[in-house]
Amino acid sequence: MSQPTTQDRTDAREPRQHDGRAIHATDLQLGYGEEIVVDVETLVIPRGEVTALVGPNGSGKSTLLKAFSAELAPETGSVLLHGESVNDRPPKELARELGLLDQENTAPADLTVESLVTHGRYPHRGFLEGLDAEDERAIDRALEMAGVESLRDVPVSELSGGQKQLAFIAMVLAQETDVLLLDEPTTYLDLYHQLRVMEVIRTLNRNRDVTVCVVLHDLQQAARFADYLVALDGGDVYDWGPPADVVDDQLLADVFGVDATVSSGDEPTIEPRRALD
Amino acid sequence: MTHEHRRPDAAGSQFDATLLGIAAVSILLAAVAALVQIRFGAYAMPMETALRALLDEKVLTRPRVLATVVLGESTARTLGLFADLSVLSNPTIVVWTIRLPRVAVAGFVGVNLAISGAIFQAITRNELASPYVLGVSSGAGVAVVFTLVFSLGSYLLPVAAVVGGTAAFAIVYLVAWRGGTTPVRLVLAGVVVGTIFNSLQTGMFYFIDSNGVMRTAIAWLAGSLVGVGWEQFRIVSVPTLLVVPLAVVAARHLDVLLLGERTARSLGMSVERARFLLSALAILAAATAVAVAGLVGFVGLVVPHVVRTFVGTDYRRIIVGSVFAGPALVVVADTVARLGLPGTQVPVGVVTGLLGGPYFLYLLRRTGTFSEF
Repeated sequence: MSQPTTQDRTDAREPRQHDGRAIHATDLQLGYGEEIVVDVETLVIPRGEVTALVGPNGSGKSTLLKAFSAELAPETGSVLLHGESVNDRPPKELARELGLLDQENTAPADLTVESLVTHGRYPHRGFLEGLDAEDERAIDRALEMAGVESLRDVPVSELSGGQKQLAFIAMVLAQETDVLLLDEPTTYLDLYHQLRVMEVIRTLNRNRDVTVCVVLHDLQQAARFADYLVALDGGDVYDWGPPADVVDDQLLADVFGVDATVSSGDEPTIEPRRALD
Repeated sequence: MTHEHRRPDAAGSQFDATLLGIAAVSILLAAVAALVQIRFGAYAMPMETALRALLDEKVLTRPRVLATVVLGESTARTLGLFADLSVLSNPTIVVWTIRLPRVAVAGFVGVNLAISGAIFQAITRNELASPYVLGVSSGAGVAVVFTLVFSLGSYLLPVAAVVGGTAAFAIVYLVAWRGGTTPVRLVLAGVVVGTIFNSLQTGMFYFIDSNGVMRTAIAWLAGSLVGVGWEQFRIVSVPTLLVVPLAVVAARHLDVLLLGERTARSLGMSVERARFLLSALAILAAATAVAVAGLVGFVGLVVPHVVRTFVGTDYRRIIVGSVFAGPALVVVADTVARLGLPGTQVPVGVVTGLLGGPYFLYLLRRTGTFSEF
């Protein structure tokens, strides 16, 4: 509570590398109409790390992402991206710093993967500008990093679910943002593509120092891939920290309503036993 | 990374074979129809005479004569470009002052309706959207019938059509707005406003007491090019020169809008602003066509649709294809409308409806699905 706002101001003026927080939400209340869905005192997405938002259905994970991406204006409080409120930023400027991949994506059936990825350059182009050399390099890099280079000319409608997700990831990669938000990117995918997606995210974070905030359904997956976990319960932060500290029997029981054994090794391993009443 | 790889967005690449084919076929169809239109009619002349009149060097090589024909006598006089047209032969007069402007206006009407429909199909994400989906037709219809019923002067009809259409669009937007719009709310608001305006229009029809006025009203509502000349050409050409380049520029934004609102927003598009500006552009195009031709139906619906089946969903291709295919359809349809029945002309909108309806029937039987891109 003693997070002084004055400190944020000085941070904003400082070069970014001194700021350990990519996203910083304070006194945040989010809702749809009358109903308040998320009520968080303070929540930090640390810079240069992979942070997973976990929690049961309806705990406010997706709503929180909407606030981070300025899609939903907060009832009270603020969301700062690198020290500046996301709601005050012009959309195009924000889109050059913050990428968002939705849970479900649609594209016209005959759009090719490369055309789709080209749209990722939208925030970097002026109203009348064509693609410049930098755009083309970014598109090539994104296709390569997401591992969909060989699918360049394939229409999106001919891709499998997993390939399609990788193509959309390539689109947000082409945006070349410092921060990337992903809403359940692995939910409907087969195991192979789940791992592919998580590896792309990992590589992106390690090689390009991109801050990632990802909503994950699968707690085990979150514990394996994320540097930090934010466990949400009923619209509030239940716990925050490295997976080894956050994931325990108590979390499973309190937040997920599951009786489970958690064994710690390199990463916490969860063995669910039964649903609690 | 192959650098000779063809970029989907790179300049020039949209002029691919399919698009060239559409352009070539469209130009050919329009040219044949135009020749028929110029050759036949109450003033009979053999094809040779018609061609000679069309290529008359007394017009083509004399800027003053050309200016007087196209700009009208008074404007030419003001600009100091007036020339006496009595030196021209009768066939040249008929071709250059009566038949050719009608073809030209038909072409411009086709361009505007096709572009307007293409834009609205992206905004509403519905292949069945037409330029009239947000109330333009009903608004223009009410205004036109109102002008006729109260005898405000038929020279006001183009203005009334534009004002009525734009006002209806504004009402539709206000009705649909609730902290923002959605494609579905816009279309529903369009239906509601359209229903109310159509009732008003039908009600006012009862106050028309002369056959001539009734005929004028019906010609407007069905869409007709009877009696259009260079004056209408001048009305339609200025906005068209604005609409076409803007539509080509807008294409990339339409493509992004088709990825869905959330994605468009996350890519940095101000979705509401973009949607409003794109709608306004489409309304400008529709109003331009309505001002000179009345409510010609089906063109704005069919043309982008046909073009899309050939070139795919890339909007720059759709727009460029529509710029060629739109005029072809309207010029051909107007030739049929004017010469199809001996002794009388039917409104061109009747012909486009008769051509467009069966096309959609065919499409419905073949695919069974419409609303998905």
